[in-house]
Amino acid sequence: MTRISLGGAVLRATVSTALMVSLMSASALGAPPVDLNKWSPQYVRSIAGTQNFDTAGDCAKVTPLDYKGRLTFWYQGVFEGDPDLLRQYYKEFFETFRKTYPNIQLEEQALTYNDLLDKFRTALLGNAAPMAVRLQILGGTEFASKGYLQPLKPEDVGYSTEDFWPGAMKAVTWEGVTYGIPTNNETMAFIWNADIFKRAGLDPDKAPATWDDVVKYSKQIHDKLGIAGYGLVARKNAGNTPYRFMPQLWAYGGGVFDEATASPTYKQVELNSAQSKAALQASYDMYVRDKSVPVSALTNQQADNQPLFLAGQLGMMVSHPSDYNVMLDLQKKTTGSDKEKAQTVIDNMRYGLIPTGPDGKRAVVFGGSNFHILKPEYVEGGKVDEPAAKALGCMWASPEWSLKMAYAGSNPGNLNGFKTKWMKERLDNIKFLDVTTSMLPYGIPFPALPQSPEIMNIIVPDMLQNALTGAMTVDQAGDDAAKKVKDLMDGGL
Amino acid sequence: MTILTGKAEGGRRLQPARSGVLRKVWEHRADYAYVLPAIAVMLIVIAYPIYYTIELSFFNTPPGLQLRDKIFIGLNNYTAILTSPVFWKVTSNTLIWTLGSTFISFVLGFASALALHRDFVGRGILRAVLIIPWVISAVAASYIWKWIYHSDFGIIGAVLVGLGLADRPPNFIDNVNTVLPSLIVVNIWREFPFAMIMMMAGLQTVPDQLLRAAKVDGANAWQRFWHVTFPHLRNVSTVTILLLAVANFNSFIIPWIMTGGGPSNASHIWITHIYELAFGRQRWGVASAYSVLLFLILMSLGYFYVRALSGNEQKGGSE
Repeated sequence: MTRISLGGAVLRATVSTALMVSLMSASALGAPPVDLNKWSPQYVRSIAGTQNFDTAGDCAKVTPLDYKGRLTFWYQGVFEGDPDLLRQYYKEFFETFRKTYPNIQLEEQALTYNDLLDKFRTALLGNAAPMAVRLQILGGTEFASKGYLQPLKPEDVGYSTEDFWPGAMKAVTWEGVTYGIPTNNETMAFIWNADIFKRAGLDPDKAPATWDDVVKYSKQIHDKLGIAGYGLVARKNAGNTPYRFMPQLWAYGGGVFDEATASPTYKQVELNSAQSKAALQASYDMYVRDKSVPVSALTNQQADNQPLFLAGQLGMMVSHPSDYNVMLDLQKKTTGSDKEKAQTVIDNMRYGLIPTGPDGKRAVVFGGSNFHILKPEYVEGGKVDEPAAKALGCMWASPEWSLKMAYAGSNPGNLNGFKTKWMKERLDNIKFLDVTTSMLPYGIPFPALPQSPEIMNIIVPDMLQNALTGAMTVDQAGDDAAKKVKDLMDGGL
Repeated sequence: MTILTGKAEGGRRLQPARSGVLRKVWEHRADYAYVLPAIAVMLIVIAYPIYYTIELSFFNTPPGLQLRDKIFIGLNNYTAILTSPVFWKVTSNTLIWTLGSTFISFVLGFASALALHRDFVGRGILRAVLIIPWVISAVAASYIWKWIYHSDFGIIGAVLVGLGLADRPPNFIDNVNTVLPSLIVVNIWREFPFAMIMMMAGLQTVPDQLLRAAKVDGANAWQRFWHVTFPHLRNVSTVTILLLAVANFNSFIIPWIMTGGGPSNASHIWITHIYELAFGRQRWGVASAYSVLLFLILMSLGYFYVRALSGNEQKGGSE
């Protein structure tokens, strides 16, 4: 018979309780810092400004602040379509980094979205890449699959994987290994001009509920006012096109593969499905049948649509959270009566959720950028200063800077950024931020495949152009694109 | 009288072989030494890339693999190119682009040169104005023309609509039928001053006394042009046309910036297509095979260019 003493029982109970608490703490440490299930504008407001972070202190644990080194770094910088506010924050970031790490010689180079991939690919071929790079979300898998990137996870720069959006982590993961840290993530929203809506006989405060409504509204605006209704974009080799067409494709139930499902396998090409063709048909109806969108859509980028919107020549468009600030910047540059006209447009600017498909499905591209570190053999000089690279990665992905660098144009990649005081300030200063953050849960990442850049930047725009120019019928364009994707996946020439 | 120094005699004694070629090489050893650095640089920056491009053209380079992991596929890239409908579309675009741009630029440039060859008030200013398109950066010109042509808010469209000549702005670059001619117009605008300058230089070599003699003999203006001026300009015309053709075959900036080869490949020419294949789609193998074919075409144009230049030299020598 075993005798259990009271003291022993108390001791065992104490030990097991302590163990349980410690396990709970460990799992609590691994839990996301924000509750993604509760995500709503109210929830975002409730957590904003609730926590302080010491960026320099946190990064000092990764790389000592007196570390001496050298880092070459390329990043997708600000360009003409971005607001001035973002320009200021980028400047401030690099100044702060140099102050925080005075002995790290940082040689940074900013490139535009459309140039970065081309230049980076070319540099890699000549083993002349920078030590670290911040790439658009679309690019990470391509370079990881080719073996150019070093494994790099948030834990390597002092954060936890759970601190970042699961979709963003998926985009930096290739064959189970993480190769980057998300710096910012955003989803777009639907923007319209209430005055144009009113003059066209539409409800000025109500966004089109479905994509079929967008087609209808676009025609009504064009027929009544003689201006473009919807800001269609279909230029090839421009990131803007997939960011605007894919939400439409997914909403109709289509896709390139099954990327819009919870656990995509990317096995079956869906561009030729009836749903995908219905989405393409909607674009065709607006461009060819109704002529209700800008004719220049085939050669335009979103940066060309912004001035049109500000000039009151465009009724609605899918766009960035930053567009309100871009409009304010553009308005400052206008003179005379144009200034007043621009102000009227800004006063009438409305943000709403991106429309749904016929079955109520709402989708948006989960965009953003990631920080990566290269393998030494592909870097100019054959050396990578890892501590210096991690110092930069830690700082950019910190709650403070991942928010500030996304202040007007995106959202923080680090979920803790939503808890900072700058988020609170941002919610007060940036109009319509609520709407764009509300779109985040509808975000769908591009397929995490090395072939994605070609599919999104070339094959999908080609499909649109083939249908919209009449070079092919909608059916043929869908089938042709599906065949191209299939050939690409099969390793064809 | 020739005095042979000891050094020269010594040099002669050192001749390594009696063969004619080798002897000539030896005699010109100093000349070869002078051009050696240039040849070395050319081997590095021209010969090696050519060799590497030819080598790459026999490999497949799928997007998921590094270039060093390329797969040998023999002539498959060439077969794939020649059987692809895009190849024929792009080739036809390139021919239209090159022939159209070259011919019209040359004719316009020649006409301008003839007009400016005469003395009149303001000739200098006009000459300077006409050269402006040539000196403007091609990138800047492309962006300016893109806005001039803009299918919704372009200047041309606004003027036509304003004057009541059109209901809506004409669609220049967003239409598969009009995009290539529209880009050719921009290209001609940019390069006809080059033809003009070349022909103006050529016109200055036409002997005045011949023209005056022809006039005295009763030749009218056309006859003087056709029988005196034009024969004198044959060689400079050939060189100008060949230079324009080579430049147009190699054009990239205008079509890439203005349309990116679109819409629907309607303005893709060889160079833009090669660029997209290589840098947009990472089909380095196929892009290299295209480049090899383009290289052969340009080399044959180069051969005619060199022949034209040699013809000039021989003619100049005999004169």
